[in-house]
Amino acid sequence: MRSARRRLCLWCMLIFLAPTTVMAADDEEFDAVHHTADGYYLDFSPIGKIELPRIFIVRSEITGYSLRTYWTTKSALRSGEMHASIHSEGTEEDAHAEEELDAEALIASGDHLDATLVPNDGEVVLDLSMTRHLMFALLASGILLTIFLQLAEKYKRGVGRTSAPQGLFQNLFETLVIFVRDDIAIPNLGRDKYQRFLPYLLTAFFFILTCNLLGLVPFGATATSNLNITAVLAAFTFVLTQFNGSRDHWRHVFWPPNMPIPVKILLIPTEIMGLFTKPIALAIRLFANLTAGHLVILSLIGMIFTFTLLFGEVVGYGVVPVSLGFTLFVMCLEVLIAFIQAYIFTILSALFIGMAIADHSHSEAH
Amino acid sequence: MLFAADLLSANQGLVVWFSVVFLALLYLLRRFAWGPITSALTEREETIAGSLNRAEAALEESKRLQESNAQARRENEQQAQRLLREAREEAEQFREREVQRTREEINALRKQAQEDIARDKEKALQALRGEVADLAILAAEKVLQENLDGSRQRVLVDRFIDELSTQKHNQFPYQA
Repeated sequence: MRSARRRLCLWCMLIFLAPTTVMAADDEEFDAVHHTADGYYLDFSPIGKIELPRIFIVRSEITGYSLRTYWTTKSALRSGEMHASIHSEGTEEDAHAEEELDAEALIASGDHLDATLVPNDGEVVLDLSMTRHLMFALLASGILLTIFLQLAEKYKRGVGRTSAPQGLFQNLFETLVIFVRDDIAIPNLGRDKYQRFLPYLLTAFFFILTCNLLGLVPFGATATSNLNITAVLAAFTFVLTQFNGSRDHWRHVFWPPNMPIPVKILLIPTEIMGLFTKPIALAIRLFANLTAGHLVILSLIGMIFTFTLLFGEVVGYGVVPVSLGFTLFVMCLEVLIAFIQAYIFTILSALFIGMAIADHSHSEAH
Repeated sequence: MLFAADLLSANQGLVVWFSVVFLALLYLLRRFAWGPITSALTEREETIAGSLNRAEAALEESKRLQESNAQARRENEQQAQRLLREAREEAEQFREREVQRTREEINALRKQAQEDIARDKEKALQALRGEVADLAILAAEKVLQENLDGSRQRVLVDRFIDELSTQKHNQFPYQA
């Protein structure tokens, strides 16, 4: 009985979802990368898009440095102070092909949101515009603050301090906090030093986890699938690692022990590179894992579009169950990955910090 | 589509914003959440560990007490046994001593009684001897009076008296 109802639900899903995707394939381009990338708007398609404020620090010959703020990209274009340019940072050779575009036509086409805005009378020094991923990072921060301030309140009242923790909420998050402490922080940092780094590790773990999970929510975006954000996270680990490095750590980098001098000279640049490859690997790993999952999901959905365009609607409908089945599977995998990547980022951060703060004599093997 | 989205594009503004956001998050959580939470957890764990240790110690202590109680009881029992045994031995010795003493007293009394008897016998014998002599004399008078054959009687009487003196310690002739 229950399985029959479940099957019915699944079929309803297919019946309602299939036409929207197949029909959407007729009149809209489907760009998986575009859906995964950051943007200056919140995407609630097909309901609509909410444009985010644009903030620019502009340097112009006439007014010098100035801060220009606009509520939306639209208003920035309509203000007459900014114009859209096809010139993007990656294509230097096309700099001369830069051409002015008609603001209203661009807004009508909807492409203005992806355009690079250039001031009419100078250049952008720093584009501090709000982006979708920043919004979701803020949302994740808000969620974390709500959860953990409430949790801390419980502990301050004495629940869990002098008595057993109560309720699903406290037990669930306490388990995760203890997991980070006992299975990530203490084994890598040691019982004496872990307390100094535990707040960072907890924050990183829960922030990454929340961001990852927010990407699986409808209309959600994954802040951690943005290389800028993962780079900042990795930079925090890097700074913590280098600023807390022990004498042994630096000696290992600049004068590796137990080596002949020529090998030492070869090793020093390698070791210095190693300092940077660790956080870079952290940033790229998190970014790539989260991006890949989304790209796979979107590509699987995209199969419907591709098959409809190539072989017609009938084949398109036929592909729907296959595509949605795989999507469901990858979605489940993504939930797993959300946890695994949060764990991996945190444990590697702990490992790198632990390696740097360790005081060990070089007589031991390592 | 006019503009291609780029997954790898650098966005300095985002880096700045996000650094600020993450620092703020780190500060707020560290200050208001992780501090109370981890300190509460540590405190709870320490309380539990302390309670366990105390329970362990109390168990150890009670075991030790039980052991020492048993030891004390065993010692007391042994002491009681020893006392009992000593008392019994003492009583035995006392009894033996009393018996000995009584026996000696009896012996002494008997000895004295025998001596008394012997003395009385001697006295009686002496008295008897005198009496017998008197009787003999009386008898002799009678004999003399009736029979003048005196010399022969005289011999008989002397012999009689001699016999008496030799037998005085052996057997009283009149007893038989």
